[in-house]
Amino acid sequence: MQVAELEVHNKSGLHARPAATFVKTAAGFRSKVTIENLTRGTNPANAKSLLAVLGCGVEQGHLVRVSAEGEDEEAAIGAVRALAEGGFGEAVPG
Amino acid sequence: MGTRFVGRPGAAGVAVGPVWRYAAGGVGDGRAPLTAGARATTGAPAGAGAADPGGVVHAAAEEAARQLEALAGRVRDLGREDEAGIFEAQAMMATDPELVDAAAELALAGEEPASAVRAAAAAAAATLAALPDELLAARAADVRDVGERIARILLGEDVALPEVPSVAIADDLPPSVAAEIPPGLLLGVALEGGSVTAHAVILARGFGIPAIVGAKGLMAAAQSATAVALDGGTGEIVLDPDAGEAAEFATRAAALAESRRAAAGLRGRPCATADGERVVLLANIGSPEDAPRAIELGAEGVGLFRTEFLFMKRQTAPTETEQVAGYRAAFQAFGPDRPVVVRLADIGGDKALPYLNLPAEANPFLGVRAIRLAAAGSRELLLTQLRAVWRAAGLAGVTPHVMAPMVATLADAQLLLDLRDEARAAAAVTAGSAGDQMPEKMVTGVMVEIPSAAILAPELARMVDFFSIGTNDLTQYTMAADRGNPALAHLQDALHPAVLQLIRMVVAGADEAGIPVAVCGELGGDPVGALVLVGLGVDELSADAGSLDTVRAALAGVTRAELTDLAARALAATDAETVRSLARDLLK
Repeated sequence: MQVAELEVHNKSGLHARPAATFVKTAAGFRSKVTIENLTRGTNPANAKSLLAVLGCGVEQGHLVRVSAEGEDEEAAIGAVRALAEGGFGEAVPG
Repeated sequence: MGTRFVGRPGAAGVAVGPVWRYAAGGVGDGRAPLTAGARATTGAPAGAGAADPGGVVHAAAEEAARQLEALAGRVRDLGREDEAGIFEAQAMMATDPELVDAAAELALAGEEPASAVRAAAAAAAATLAALPDELLAARAADVRDVGERIARILLGEDVALPEVPSVAIADDLPPSVAAEIPPGLLLGVALEGGSVTAHAVILARGFGIPAIVGAKGLMAAAQSATAVALDGGTGEIVLDPDAGEAAEFATRAAALAESRRAAAGLRGRPCATADGERVVLLANIGSPEDAPRAIELGAEGVGLFRTEFLFMKRQTAPTETEQVAGYRAAFQAFGPDRPVVVRLADIGGDKALPYLNLPAEANPFLGVRAIRLAAAGSRELLLTQLRAVWRAAGLAGVTPHVMAPMVATLADAQLLLDLRDEARAAAAVTAGSAGDQMPEKMVTGVMVEIPSAAILAPELARMVDFFSIGTNDLTQYTMAADRGNPALAHLQDALHPAVLQLIRMVVAGADEAGIPVAVCGELGGDPVGALVLVGLGVDELSADAGSLDTVRAALAGVTRAELTDLAARALAATDAETVRSLARDLLK
């Protein structure tokens, strides 16, 4: 299993378009991918489900843990890291 | 020769184009509903038989996602990027494993597939609505909407939207359907039923496309028709027009476009009669997003800012902060020189808003709604809205204008003034601690929609700063005729001399006290109605921005003396048709 802990910097957190971008990325891998909102203390949720990701209520500044398990787990976590560094496709303040 | 029909003119305009039929409870193009016997494309358990409820749910969900993606593409092509983003997110929700697997499970356990989907969507929406973040409330509404779409597909009530620019032919076109057709794909609307105040007609006026209502026999005849020509000014409809007829309508369309261009040329100038009497032209808006178009079309402000958009489709009442954002956006868009009249929420028993806890009523339009909510346990709802208006106006640096609907008595008006002052005191404290500006005053008016308010106009006028007549409701309450009932179309005409007599009483009362009278009903957006209203002494007309050009042009062509004479003859007329033809003669 591969795990990444990330702080979400972009303005709208994992709402709206950034959440959709995140889900589309996760859904592109065969591995099981989950996300937990560590700031809010949520249970691991299916990262391939927009509803589940929205349900984590990730706002700007929250810490999340993304886990991937399966044949392409390393690639999946790498892609998620790259996405987070790019602000999930949304401008990052400062 | 095509088949001819004549209905009642709803919205001016001429169109020729392909037919798109809509029938309530059935598919527009006659597709069969997805039943349990239909072959599922995905998600079906191996070896599933003909009756496979789980697979049916999956197939319907995929169809919903396909529709939503197509819709996103079409609105993106029209340059409406924000809306496209919403539809794209909805497309993802439609095939979301959390939603579809839960629904499929319920269906496999014996639940009807459509109710299984509704239940799963409601559960997902509740999860989002329970989060502390306000933004997710809107997403909760999106999930429910997706659930409804999948359920409609399962029930065979699916609406296949037009894929090329078309004329909608229907018995009636419900707002949910009409709003979903991207404007560029709707050339016109022809209804067998409906009334001139139907939502589809109001929408058509906004888009500047023709609408005709009450065309008997149209639906049956249109079953096999492929093309249609219509003239919303005359009410003429021709199914499958021949080449000559199509050319004739095209000529009319060109002439209309020319006169619209000429009318648009007047936009920069203040609206006035030929002899220079000023009439203030305002726009009706339903959200801050309507502002740019209203300003472009020459609105001098907003005579009716409907605030229901903040209150609908949600589980809890909107907070003061949320409302401040909505009002402030509109105030800033129009600026200090274009006043925006905020109408306090006109909500009540006809729409089940979960946070109001109102019992169902037999006659919700005669029941507990709008200002009447204050005495029925929802005083705080009105206070919150008024505080938000005070705060938003202070932040935007404008003088706030507010009006209350459903005012029937002097006590109602006094209640409005008391609520306003109570809200000011609270808002001033918040503004003070934040170091924000507070407006000096709030220009406060009442809507005249209930005949008692018209009768009490002299006394009401001494209490408030302005009147705004809602002609649709004033007509409905004067005639005791439900404005949505097509069987009563003959009693829904605001030009009936009985309604005009009441308007004259309102103007007389207002004049005595020296306050202005506005009209914010549909009548003010109709050139014929505008002439009669200004003739009766109305000072301001507020209508959908799409109507302003023609109203401005109509008033520019007549004198005060002609309008006064028209009003005198209208008041003495026996029926609305006579009034209409008197005004039409003057328009020529």
